[in-house]
Amino acid sequence: MLGKLMKYEWKATWKLLLSANVLIIVMTGLARCMVSLVDQAGRSDFRMVDFVAVMVLLTYVGSMFAVCVGTTIFLIHRFYTSTYGDQGYLLHTLPVDTHHIIIAKVLVSAAWVIINMTFIYMSAIFLLATTSEIFRSMMEGMVDMIEYLGAEKISAFTVIMTLIAFVFSVFAKVLKVGACISLGQLSPNHKLLFSFAWYVGVYVVEQLVQSIYFVITIYFQEQIANSDYWSYDSYFDRQWETALLAGIISCVVYYLLTWYVMSRKLNLD
Amino acid sequence: MAPVVQCMGLTKTYGRKIALNQINLNLERGRIIGLLGPNGSGKTTLIKIINGLLKPTAGEVLINGQRPGVDTKLRISYLPERTYLQPGMKVFELLQYFQDFYPDFRVDRAFDMLARLQIPPQERLKNLSKGTKEKVQLIMVMSRDADLYILDEPIAGVDPAARDYILHTIVSNYNRCGSILLSTHLISDVENILDEVVFIKYGSIVLQAGAEQIRQNERKSVDQFFREVFAC
Repeated sequence: MLGKLMKYEWKATWKLLLSANVLIIVMTGLARCMVSLVDQAGRSDFRMVDFVAVMVLLTYVGSMFAVCVGTTIFLIHRFYTSTYGDQGYLLHTLPVDTHHIIIAKVLVSAAWVIINMTFIYMSAIFLLATTSEIFRSMMEGMVDMIEYLGAEKISAFTVIMTLIAFVFSVFAKVLKVGACISLGQLSPNHKLLFSFAWYVGVYVVEQLVQSIYFVITIYFQEQIANSDYWSYDSYFDRQWETALLAGIISCVVYYLLTWYVMSRKLNLD
Repeated sequence: MAPVVQCMGLTKTYGRKIALNQINLNLERGRIIGLLGPNGSGKTTLIKIINGLLKPTAGEVLINGQRPGVDTKLRISYLPERTYLQPGMKVFELLQYFQDFYPDFRVDRAFDMLARLQIPPQERLKNLSKGTKEKVQLIMVMSRDADLYILDEPIAGVDPAARDYILHTIVSNYNRCGSILLSTHLISDVENILDEVVFIKYGSIVLQAGAEQIRQNERKSVDQFFREVFAC
C-alpha cells in the first residue's frame, strides 16, 4: 500500500511543483541571456540594456525566493489538508497502516524539496558560468577557501557522507513540520495556531540544544588545538558525523511524535 | 456470529462536555439501522469513533470483533457528512483510487451508477456542483461490498428528488450480508427503509428497537414517536 499512497501523493503535488521548477529554468535562461547581452554590448555611461538586465536579475532573484517559499507553503498546506482537513476523512479510513501514511508523505515532500534545491543551485551555477570572469574569480575564491581550511584532504567518503547527512536533514525538516502540525491537533480548538506555537517551541529547543553543543565542542576543540593532534581534516571529518547523528535523531523523534498523534490521539473535527 | 458493531461503555468527552456517555450498543448483520437524534446528540461522534477517526475517552468499540484498524477499515464503507474528495481529481481517477485501496470496490457498479446520473467520468470534481459531488461520493461508498456501510446525514441539504435517488441508491446497492448504519434527523424520509432504529439524546442511547415494533407498540410512525421522545 505504501507504493499506492506515494503514487497518489505524487499525483496530487507534481503539477504545481513541476511548474515551479519550469519557472526556475525559464528565469535562469532569461537572466543568462540578459547577462550575455550586457557583456556583448559596448561600454558607455548609461545603457538601456543595463537597466533591463538589472530588472531581469531582480525578477530572477525574486522568483527563486518565491519558488522556495511557495513550495514550502504548498507542501505544508498539502500535509495539513490531506491529513487533518476534510481529505483526512478519506485518508484515515483507507485500509493502510499509519506508518505508510507518514512515510509516503515524507518521502514525496522531501523529494520535492531536494529537487527544488537542486534546480535552484544548478540555476545559480549556470548563471555564474555566463561571465567567465566572475565564474573564474568565484572558483578561485572557493579553491583559496578550501586550501585555507585545509579541506583538500577531504575524502570522497566524507563528501558522500555529507550528502547523506544533508538528505537526513531534509527529512528531519519535513518531519518537524509534520510533527508540529500533528501536535497542534491535540488542542481542542485553534489547532493551526497551536501547530505554529509548537513549531516555535521546537525551534527554540533545537537552537538551545545546538548552542549547548557548540559551546561544548568549542571548549574541547580549543583543548585539542593546543595539542599536537589538531588538524583541519579531522575537523571536517567530524562535521558529517555530527550532522548525520543530529539528522537521524531528529527524524526518529519527529516521526514518533507524528505517529503517536495519528495512531493514538487522532481527533478529526 | 458476532455483531458487526459492539460498543461497550463508550464515552467521549471534550473538556467538560460529554459527547458520548457510556454507550452500550450492538448492531446486528443484514439490517438497515437508523441512528436518529437531533443535532448535537452525538451521532457523528459515535460514527467517527467506529471509523477510527476519533479516539474514545473510555470504553471500547469492536467491529467484527476487532478494534478499529486496518482490518476493520477494509470492511467499513463510510460516507462522511462533508466532502472528502481532492478537487483536482477527475471522476474516473477517483474510481481508480478506490479500486487501488479497496479490494471490494466494484468499478462496473460505479460506472453504471455514474451513467444513470449522467456524470461524465472525465469531469474534474471541482467542476461539479456540491450536490453532484455528494452523489459521486455516495456512488463510491455504495460501490463497495462492505460488511458495514456508515452513512452520516446522506440526505441532509439535498432536494426531495435527490433524496429519493440517494435512498434508492442505498437500498438497491448495498451488500445484503452487511448492515447499514444511517444517521439522520430527517426521519420521515428514511422511515420506510429502516429495519431498526437507535435513538440517541445528549450522548446516551435512549432506545434501540425494530421500526415495525415501534409502529405496532406505539401505534405511531417512527417520525411521530421521535418527535414525542425529543420534544423540546
